Amino acid sequence: MRHTLFLFFVVGLGNFVFAQTASETNGKAVFDKWCTPCHGAVAPKNVMFGNGALAGTSALAVKYKGKLPAVLEQRTDLTSAMIKSVVRGGLYGMPITRKTEVSDAELEDVVAYLTRNRKK
Amino acid sequence: MVLPPNVSEADFNAALGEFRSAVSASWVFSSDEDVALYRDSYSIYWGEPEERVASAAVAPAKVEEVQQIVRTANRYRIPLYPISTGRNLTYGGSAPTMRGSVVVDLKRMNRILEVDEKRAFALVEPGVSYFDLYQYIRDRNLKLMLDVPDPGWGSPMGNSLDHGAGYTMAAFRDHFGAHCGMEVVTPEGDLIRTGMGAVPNADSWQDFRYGAGPNVDGLFAQSNFGIVTKMGFWLMPMPEAFLSGTITAPRFRDLDALVQEVSYLEDLGLTGMPQYGSPVGQAAFGPGAGAMASLMQNGWPSTEAVENFVTAQKRPAWSVQLYFYGPEETVRGTWQATKRRFAKAIAGATFQDGEFLTLPIPREKEPTQSDKPRLGIPALEVFNMVARNPQTADDPSDGHADLFVTIPRKASALWESARVLYEAHREAGMPARQSPFGTPFTYYSRCFWTGTTVPTWRDPVKNARSRALFQKVIDRCAEHGWVSYRTNPAFQDLVVSKYSFNNNSLLRFQEKLKDGIDPNGIMSPGRYGLWPANMRKNRA
Repeated sequence: MRHTLFLFFVVGLGNFVFAQTASETNGKAVFDKWCTPCHGAVAPKNVMFGNGALAGTSALAVKYKGKLPAVLEQRTDLTSAMIKSVVRGGLYGMPITRKTEVSDAELEDVVAYLTRNRKK
Repeated sequence: MVLPPNVSEADFNAALGEFRSAVSASWVFSSDEDVALYRDSYSIYWGEPEERVASAAVAPAKVEEVQQIVRTANRYRIPLYPISTGRNLTYGGSAPTMRGSVVVDLKRMNRILEVDEKRAFALVEPGVSYFDLYQYIRDRNLKLMLDVPDPGWGSPMGNSLDHGAGYTMAAFRDHFGAHCGMEVVTPEGDLIRTGMGAVPNADSWQDFRYGAGPNVDGLFAQSNFGIVTKMGFWLMPMPEAFLSGTITAPRFRDLDALVQEVSYLEDLGLTGMPQYGSPVGQAAFGPGAGAMASLMQNGWPSTEAVENFVTAQKRPAWSVQLYFYGPEETVRGTWQATKRRFAKAIAGATFQDGEFLTLPIPREKEPTQSDKPRLGIPALEVFNMVARNPQTADDPSDGHADLFVTIPRKASALWESARVLYEAHREAGMPARQSPFGTPFTYYSRCFWTGTTVPTWRDPVKNARSRALFQKVIDRCAEHGWVSYRTNPAFQDLVVSKYSFNNNSLLRFQEKLKDGIDPNGIMSPGRYGLWPANMRKNRA
């Protein structure tokens, strides 16, 4: 029992510390899994369909015409509200992401990651 | 708040309470904000009364929880709609077929139960995506290749149950055809296993599909006879090498011989999914656009006019890219034999060696690898096709609905279908981009699929136009016996109505099964035109 309690305490404390300090790290992991296949920076030169690059990055390049970075991880203007709105509501071809896919806690981590360089 | 049809608010709330007991409150979603996450992002009825929205969602993590949910649904007559990863976009996404259904979100059931390298199979739960399974196999350096559909975020289970397909050899790219063994929660909450899974202690569930007696696996695809909770899949041993090669055929009429030769290779199991193309047709989207417009200016051109057009363009009418998997000696030898056969069958055919790879490719090269699905690597690069691009910069669509019909694997059917699709678009008052140089999809090796991709919007006026086109194409194609194999929920009644031999005897047979297997009609009412007895008036 003593060992169980000790383990619980350590794991629980670990989670607490992680949640407070490491959300950017987890946010990057979540981003890599769920977002990079469309919003990544590296793409094949030739793809079977479309005009090269990845769908999200390509679409944002057309949208912003160089005024803002097409790669989300390079943006410094993203806000928590913008990110959550797009993830939960979808936008154009990007579909809604459910909580069974990316939980609210994971979404907060993604926000922390994508806003890490936000200009104050 | 949306309630299921014919269910009181009190009963609905009681059912939600039992769902919470089964899976915990945090995995039952009933607030408007949470239920909205189960809307079909690509709905062709977005924001309209006909949009198929859920009343709630429940996300079990275990088979026993699925059984509890099903039993509760029977008690309160709650319609359920199971999804696996919920990414079946263009075919409904994570939204139910019938408005007011409770979505059973199986994403949390995400265990890879077994991958056997020597016997080349996997056994997975519904929430496992192609990305997940690929990662598992690569992390362990298992010498197995997946066959993946274009979007890798779907699940092997969900994709195969909706008759999805991929890119490698025919035996694997028919994803339902490559399954072996299922576990299913029936509409009354019982649990069955098919094939050898029905034999206690058998160790051959993923080795032999049929067992003995009637094989019922097909009942659970595109249907509403149960919730599949485990499914086995045969996988391809990792080939030593990959080689591609491209053949061109100069004349328009050469397509007939080209199809015959490609089919020969396909049916012998010598090539992966062939990729047909048309250098003349492709060029017409660039500098040749004016010439193509000229060809099409008086409507569908005669074969003679098309042949003259090809000659004038000084480009081959057709191309096909072939993909070989196996030991290096084999793939190079097959390509050599292929060149010999095509040179004999098609005067003036040309050949270009393509990419040669030793498999598996190094992980660090994966991000820049072209056409990943050809190598069994999941990706989402296909969405580039419908993403905002310079042509749609100011008005990109909000989604799309694919409409592909099955036609015979022959040149004459392809040419005829291209004309019919062209006419259907014009009759619907929509831009007709079809030309005589349309090429088929060959996901299923024994037939062609052809069709159109219809944009969807979060704008009811635009969606009404898209729906009119969708219906027009379905109706016009059906006149020729060309009908979809898979379709958006909004059109499932219509599509199924085209399978009408002998006064719809197939559907009537399915309805008899439905009445016996799901007496309370709680499982996915309306999916692929199959309604419970008390709702058949809903049928279009």
